[in-house]
Amino acid sequence: MKARPITTVKTVVTGIEEAGAGTKLFTLADPDQWDLPPFKPGAHIDLHLPNGLVRTYSLCNEPADNARYVIAVKREAEGRGGSRALHDDVGVGDVIGVSLPRGGLEPDARVARYVFVAGGIGVTPFLSMARHFQRTAQADVTLHLVVREEMPLAAHLSSLIEAGTVVVHRTSREGRPDLAELVGDPNPETMVGCCGPESMIEDFERVTAAWPAARVHVERFVAPPPIIDPDAKPFTLSLARSGGEIHVRAGQTMLAALKEGGIDIATSCCGGICGACKVGWIEGKPVHRDRVLSPYERERYLMVCVAGSDSERLVLDL
Amino acid sequence: MLDTVNAAPAQGAAQLGWTGVVRFLHLAPRAFLPMRAAETLTLVAGRGIEGDRYMIGNEEGFYSHKPEEGRQVTLFELETLVALKRDFGIELGPEEHRRNVTVEGVPLNHLVGRRFWLGETLLEATRLSVPCRHIEEITGKAIFDPLINRSGLNCKIRQGGIVKVGDTVRNAA
Ligand code: FES
Repeated sequence: MKARPITTVKTVVTGIEEAGAGTKLFTLADPDQWDLPPFKPGAHIDLHLPNGLVRTYSLCNEPADNARYVIAVKREAEGRGGSRALHDDVGVGDVIGVSLPRGGLEPDARVARYVFVAGGIGVTPFLSMARHFQRTAQADVTLHLVVREEMPLAAHLSSLIEAGTVVVHRTSREGRPDLAELVGDPNPETMVGCCGPESMIEDFERVTAAWPAARVHVERFVAPPPIIDPDAKPFTLSLARSGGEIHVRAGQTMLAALKEGGIDIATSCCGGICGACKVGWIEGKPVHRDRVLSPYERERYLMVCVAGSDSERLVLDL
Repeated sequence: MLDTVNAAPAQGAAQLGWTGVVRFLHLAPRAFLPMRAAETLTLVAGRGIEGDRYMIGNEEGFYSHKPEEGRQVTLFELETLVALKRDFGIELGPEEHRRNVTVEGVPLNHLVGRRFWLGETLLEATRLSVPCRHIEEITGKAIFDPLINRSGLNCKIRQGGIVKVGDTVRNAA
């Protein structure tokens, strides 16, 4: 077997628990119970599933609980297959690669109160946040959980419901709650957040339109694109020797695009200083951005970890 | 000229040389995992540190970036951590730079191609480490640029043994 670079954190499924409303809780841990890479309350990770799918889930445990990642997965029979694979095919002891955690809330000392609105399984990121703030007693949290009838993660929410931190709204009995009322008026010491079905998020964005953007947090369950330079444009790499074409998305590095295309390039710094990823170019207008090539070398080479392209097509000597 | 340093003693009273000390030891068994502090590390000649991700043959079929014969143990200067704080206001802990051994009083950049004692173990420095762009992602700190040319030293283990916090680091003649 050819040695491959490691791109994910290796975890083992150490627990699977039925959590109601078609939801299962999966606990992932290091094979030797080593601490896992740290995360912020409400962060999410990508799971690289055995069937090749990559799916994003929020962590529902809190950052202090740092030797495991706990995710809640609702089985979506009509979904794209990620939740079915997890529910039906994954067992305790299976190895799953995960990404480094992303996103989540940067706790802000100026915020004294958090008001979250979650729809159904959208409760997961806020469960992590609610647990974090309950333990650190840094801020007051109210989490409004809107469900039709059955509540996911009931066993894990019960103590938070008793403490008054979680307020459950059942639409089958009381109809839809008025989001404007739950959220209240803008207040510099209050932060509001929402996660749930798209229609709920749209309502939420409407009622919080007057709030300062820094005080509104929306979780959408999609991998956020990397910070993209607004001027970045997509381009195409033509590979002169192998004859292939590779599309580089706006803001993506050539290196990432080549890797996606199955082309292995040696790297070390990934920041344009070490010289490991040097590739020859033949035609086009590269934008160099490295700090290792001389002007003379730049006429023939570029560093794929940082270089971009000013032309729509760039021909590489690959 | 400039092919090697002058190993002959200086004229008169001047003594060239240095002696340093091991301040912190860290390891992690797999890529991306947080480094954990240890009181001792076991170095195996020609292979790596017991339990560390760069131990040759540790991760079946996978390599953390790439296997590297010359990177069996990595060192970092405590002085760089002090400089990051002094010059950039960045507090980087010895568990965050992802090298195994944090030393004080050892001019790491001068040691490329040379042998030196780390406690009872004998190391041979192969090349300077380069910072890695991903370290900014992992630590959330903008340290890539400030770490250029002072990101530590990669070494081979010539003679194995146990290294302890507080051990002396000295030149091997
Ligand atoms: S990986 Fe170091 S320059 Fe590209």
